[in-house]
Amino acid sequence: MVSVRDNWRVFLLVLVLLGSTFALFSPTMSGSDGPSGPGQASDGPTNLRFGLELSGGTRIRAPLVGVTAEGVQFGDENITAVERNVADQFDGITVTDVTARRSANASTVEVTAENVTTDDLASALDATGYQYESVREGVTEPTRQQTVEVLQAKVNEAGLSGGTVQSVSTAQGQYFILIEAPEERQAVIDLVNSRGTVRVDIYHPAENGSGYTTREAVLEQGDFQSISTAQQGEGNQPPFVRVSIKENVAPQFQRAVVETGVAQPGGTSCSYRENPDTTDPCLLTKVDGEVVYAAGMEASLAQSMRSGQWLNDPTFILPADNYSAAQQLAIDLRAGALPAQLDLEEEGTSSYVSPSQGASFKVDSLITGVIAVLAVSVVVFLRYGRVEVAVPMILTALSEVVVLLGFASVIGYPIDLAVIAGFVAVIGTGVDDLIIIADEVMSEGDVSSRRVFQSRFRKAFWVIGAAAATTIIAMSPLAVLSLGDLRGFAIFTILGVIVGVLLTRPAYGDILRGLLTESR
Amino acid sequence: MAGTSENLPFDLPEVDYTRYSNRQLAAVPLAVLALALLVIAATFALTGAPVDPGLDFTGGTELRVAVDAPNEDAAREQIRGAFAVEPESIQSVPSDATYIVTFQEGAASTSALDQQARDAGLEVRSSDSVSASFGGETQGLALAGVAVAFVGMSLLVFAMFRTFVPSIAVVVSAFSDIVIPVALMNLLGIELSLGTVAALLMIIGYSVDSDILLNSHILRRSGDFYESTYRAMRTGVTMTLTSLAAMAVMAVTATLFGIELLASIGIILVFGLAADLMNTYMLNLSLLRWYKFEGVNR
Repeated sequence: MVSVRDNWRVFLLVLVLLGSTFALFSPTMSGSDGPSGPGQASDGPTNLRFGLELSGGTRIRAPLVGVTAEGVQFGDENITAVERNVADQFDGITVTDVTARRSANASTVEVTAENVTTDDLASALDATGYQYESVREGVTEPTRQQTVEVLQAKVNEAGLSGGTVQSVSTAQGQYFILIEAPEERQAVIDLVNSRGTVRVDIYHPAENGSGYTTREAVLEQGDFQSISTAQQGEGNQPPFVRVSIKENVAPQFQRAVVETGVAQPGGTSCSYRENPDTTDPCLLTKVDGEVVYAAGMEASLAQSMRSGQWLNDPTFILPADNYSAAQQLAIDLRAGALPAQLDLEEEGTSSYVSPSQGASFKVDSLITGVIAVLAVSVVVFLRYGRVEVAVPMILTALSEVVVLLGFASVIGYPIDLAVIAGFVAVIGTGVDDLIIIADEVMSEGDVSSRRVFQSRFRKAFWVIGAAAATTIIAMSPLAVLSLGDLRGFAIFTILGVIVGVLLTRPAYGDILRGLLTESR
Repeated sequence: MAGTSENLPFDLPEVDYTRYSNRQLAAVPLAVLALALLVIAATFALTGAPVDPGLDFTGGTELRVAVDAPNEDAAREQIRGAFAVEPESIQSVPSDATYIVTFQEGAASTSALDQQARDAGLEVRSSDSVSASFGGETQGLALAGVAVAFVGMSLLVFAMFRTFVPSIAVVVSAFSDIVIPVALMNLLGIELSLGTVAALLMIIGYSVDSDILLNSHILRRSGDFYESTYRAMRTGVTMTLTSLAAMAVMAVTATLFGIELLASIGIILVFGLAADLMNTYMLNLSLLRWYKFEGVNR
């Protein structure tokens, strides 16, 4: 009586539902590929991944600070010299903020410091005599990539498991850095906001005998061969990071500490912070230009420096005030400096949801969805008063959500509130369509034959198809534009409508036909 | 009296359309539409924007904080005392004794507000910050999105019906379905958010369903005009009431839980669907009747 050929739509629906259920619950499907988001895969009985709003965490989205000149002509000139020439045109901008890149046809110069306008860059280039084609806001693709890599390294170093960093672009061709991490907002901001440029200066009495002077950048970011993790000091020693210096840099550094008197016989004891006017020479560890620690040198190390023995094993330690500062120092040293900073205050957005709030959003939105479905059920029952019409209607509408959930867990799309709103929208349009089918099929008395049923069903389907097309058209701008989280809403509404029109709603027609024609 | 065999669902009183002229039928929805446009125009004249843009578009910071206080007044007092700047609004979430505190763009940095809340012993459950320039761009995008969706829908409707009057009837109804909720937002002080934009787009998708149904029953089927109308109404009214019930319930529940996105989608759709009932069965219907009985023969 129930032949597969006549009811293939129902069988197909059952098959897809089984597949979705498998995708949702099977442990073999869990941990599906794709970038692991802060949502963390499959906590709980399903393979669903939850977005920030439902799992807790911080999302930061901001462009990079910087202006770029394209098509700059600097011929064969040394890149570093170009950068220095440009940097010299600005007050308070060092070479680290200027990046020149040479490529076959379009060389660029970027300034990645705050408060530099395109006009500033243009006049700086004019002053240096470099020809250029155009200046614009923003940074270059390589800088963006590098920033993403450094940020990702920082996030990993800090142990923010599941934190992701990526570069995203909007429909208008603007680029943003998007960071998601399961941490408190301030922790993430502190991590990414520090540009993390580490260098070591030497502070020593001036040669002419009056006051003190600073020899800058005796060690820079790239000069370290290996960097330990942060370690607790023994006894009264402060926490520290052990570093070794690259072979080609070590001799210069050794000469510098001997010349400036840091490595004097008997060592030095630094009191830079207490009495900067009378202290022994000091090694200053600076992060982003701020002194984070000032240290003297032990007698034994000083001796080894003076004899040159140190060069056989060029390691020493960078102390820090406390353990977390040592950790931060290690992160900055390892991850490298950010080529450009995030412009969070001016143009960024951030959102943070605590894990407990996320958990209650999860439960509350589920309750909201269930109550909405109940409301639909009540209205449908009131209207039809027939269980064989109303129950399959509700079940069919719910099956669309099951298919969508299965799809979400297969592709690893993180579920958030917007996606849940999409599910509600899908149930809404779904039930609307099922009402059209039911009314059409049952109009003018009972359905007597298959042929009558088919012709009525086809009529109903014209309206459903037309309504689905308008819904898809109405939602497609949201699916394309990057309007916050609403993309998920639009994508799942559109998917739901497509699944509904192609799969579930025709199947409901078959079910209804079976129930109405065979019950006679 | 036509279509006597059909009754409207939920014991709704049957409307005898023959008693009203097209002019009379169209007058009410057109008057409401004019009123709605007037409200929007007045808002535009007063504020420079057709609708009050919320945090998503103006920029600003929103914190959801849990407060340990004996009653709501004390909680509000404590929240006001915690921050160095005056919050733009404090909204209570009944279900879990948290409060949604909104600050205008530029009032203070989110980091500072976050710190102040913690220093005052408030538990920060969530925070959202949007910078002004980003919000401005979002607003442009959102408006463009609604416009594109509307134009796309209109073109599709014209392509489907291929006749001017029935098509324009759907488009005008849909336009009114969007304009009336926007006017109501202005009157009730509901801010435009990403959720309300989503809801406005959903109205475009939802509201044309019943219009398409009505048009298709009247234009594509043989049979008496009034009989077709009643049949379309039976189905269409059920559809709209079902959605209306779901959205009303969602709006209430989500408001109690403080899930703003779902709440705003629910509220705006309730407005839109209610407007749609009126527009479909008064405005669209009168245009169709005029087209069917007079327009075609001209």
